[in-house]
Amino acid sequence: MEIQKIEVAKNPEIEDAIELPKKGSHDEVEDCEEQQQQQEAQEDEKNRVEEEDELRNLLLSDIGGLPISPPSATQVNFVTYFITDFTKSGHDQYIYRHANGLCVIGLAPTHIAFKDEGGITNIDFNVGKSDRSVLKVSGKRKKNALRSESNTALCKVSTAKDTYIVRCCVKGSLLEVNDRLIKQPQLLNASADREGYIAIIMPRPTDWTKNKESLITLEEYKEKKELSL
Amino acid sequence: MSDETKLASGDSVCLPNGLVSHGDSRTRRVYETARSLHSGAVKDLLSLGVCERCIFRLIPVEAFDSDVSSVSTSTLRSWLESGDDETGPLESSCSRICIVCLGILQFVFSDAKQKLVKTDTSSDYAARITELVKQDRHEFDSFGLEVSVPSIIIENERAVLSYLKGKYSNEGWLQIKKISVKDALKILVLDPLRASLGAKSDSSTFHIRLIYSRASDGAQGASEKTHESKRRKTDAENGSNCISENSFEKVYEPCLLSVHCNKMPIFFSGRYFKYSRNVSQSRWIIDDERMGEASVEEILGGNILPACLGDSYKFHAAGREDIDVRMLGSGRPFLIEIQNSRQCPSEQSLKEVEEKINNSEKKLVGVKDLRCVGSQCWAMMREGEAEKQKQYAALVWISRPLEDKDLNSISSLIELKILQKTPVRVLHRRSPLDREKIIHWMKVEKIKGNSHYFLLHLCTQAGTYIKEFVHGDLGRTTPSMGSILGCRAEIIQLDVTDVKMGDS
Repeated sequence: MEIQKIEVAKNPEIEDAIELPKKGSHDEVEDCEEQQQQQEAQEDEKNRVEEEDELRNLLLSDIGGLPISPPSATQVNFVTYFITDFTKSGHDQYIYRHANGLCVIGLAPTHIAFKDEGGITNIDFNVGKSDRSVLKVSGKRKKNALRSESNTALCKVSTAKDTYIVRCCVKGSLLEVNDRLIKQPQLLNASADREGYIAIIMPRPTDWTKNKESLITLEEYKEKKELSL
Repeated sequence: MSDETKLASGDSVCLPNGLVSHGDSRTRRVYETARSLHSGAVKDLLSLGVCERCIFRLIPVEAFDSDVSSVSTSTLRSWLESGDDETGPLESSCSRICIVCLGILQFVFSDAKQKLVKTDTSSDYAARITELVKQDRHEFDSFGLEVSVPSIIIENERAVLSYLKGKYSNEGWLQIKKISVKDALKILVLDPLRASLGAKSDSSTFHIRLIYSRASDGAQGASEKTHESKRRKTDAENGSNCISENSFEKVYEPCLLSVHCNKMPIFFSGRYFKYSRNVSQSRWIIDDERMGEASVEEILGGNILPACLGDSYKFHAAGREDIDVRMLGSGRPFLIEIQNSRQCPSEQSLKEVEEKINNSEKKLVGVKDLRCVGSQCWAMMREGEAEKQKQYAALVWISRPLEDKDLNSISSLIELKILQKTPVRVLHRRSPLDREKIIHWMKVEKIKGNSHYFLLHLCTQAGTYIKEFVHGDLGRTTPSMGSILGCRAEIIQLDVTDVKMGDS
């Protein structure tokens, strides 16, 4: 606003004189412009800081009471089931079922393999008719996935003492096996319930409904475990 | 129309001896054309029941053009009839629908209420169409005209042309290409429609479609005609000529006309904010139950649609976030596509829409920079999706207390490459792939009084699964927050703090 007023006042004079008054007004205009730019920059900076503060407030506002140990991602996103003594005594496995229907299969803590001295030393996916670790499932439709029954063998785990067969427990398409276990079998001993999972299976809805009957919940599993101990 | 109006529009007064008393050059040209048509053919077609303008089309001496539209149906008829003094007064034209164009070029039709509408001139017809267009309340200053006619008309025309060919086999006008009924109608009404609507005509974003269709019992007649014309065709192939005047049935029912107006979609762009952890981005319904309490799509679209008086909307966003993730900071760019809008909202009404959304009681969603954009908006969206970086703030818990050296070890990781297998939570609908992503930078913000929780600020490549990067997804994302810090890590909540797009 100020700049414009100065220009309007000066203009009639510019017509009379030639250069000096023009130059004078030009200088003033420049100064005003600089001042304005500085003001604008300061305002921008202020706005930015304000926005950042607002953002920080928003980010922290949600943090209410923080529990000492929050539930894990597995507990939040999956429903945990167990199957005990599957085809053989002591073969206990867990099945984590996601809301989208996928099932993560692994060894339950009471699996007989963990009772052996030294724990699990080796895992081999080459069982049944093919090596499960080389299957290549591709695409949204999950082409080339192995169609497994609940007693289809997934892998063999070996301890110093013996070798045990781990089976699917769930009828469905085998999407993935945890091939990191081949190089790092100790994952099974350290965290069989997370990084040591064995496989991911996608059952059909009808197959799952039938399968579910033979599975037990976490509560029931705990009770059973108490009894056996 | 009264006689005075007829004269004013340049129509000529027809004297019994065919002399023209006055009228402008256009109508005189049409008159002269009418007189120069092959009179035998004209008489035949008139007695078959072909209308005046179809006669001009089918026995052309000059190109059928818009001059013909300046003459009323009844005047045309009198010019064609008066050439022949031998026949007595022919059947009154009032009840006869053309057997070729089914009344379309006679400007006769049935409206939506099944009432017969007869207009004599193209300007009358244009006025009727204008009424129907105005009912739809579209605002426009240019339009494109489209016409759709029943397919039986092609058969009718073929039948009449074979009859003429049979009878007047060597005439020159038989060889001239005929203008179709569709094109003829457009030629006749485009100028009057332009004048009556007060708009230009071009291949614009607004289309007026005149849809002619057969009335129900006419359909039966049409199929009979089909059989007949098939028979006629094979007869002609056999060389015999048994097409006579008696093969053509009279038509009593005109076509049903409905006028459809359609505007091409218009687009609005802006940036939205999502403040709630219970609002999905788009409408999400499983087994008839809605997931979350609302959706960004419905809040934005539901407020913009009424301002445009449109039929429906489509929502497009540059990327998406989970239902439990807030969208803060600079907001996420989006586009709302409105189908068949009746008016383009002013800047003021867009501001009101913004305010309404931002000041709503529940404060679930916010919006800024809402504006109307042209078709270049798609380029803008493409830009934002795959290439750009996104910034997040995650509340992370770890199983051991945070140490000062952790802050350094995390912030020293620049352009960290991670490998993510398709997360289990989306594996059911996405391909099982290994995706390499880049974490551009990370910064840890301690939380006062709590050493197990901290705020992790990170900037990543588009397409990175943040939650899986924090908790490791059963070891399928490496490295993860847990593997970097050597302990278990869980993500409690996530917020998007910036979606970088081009210059804005």
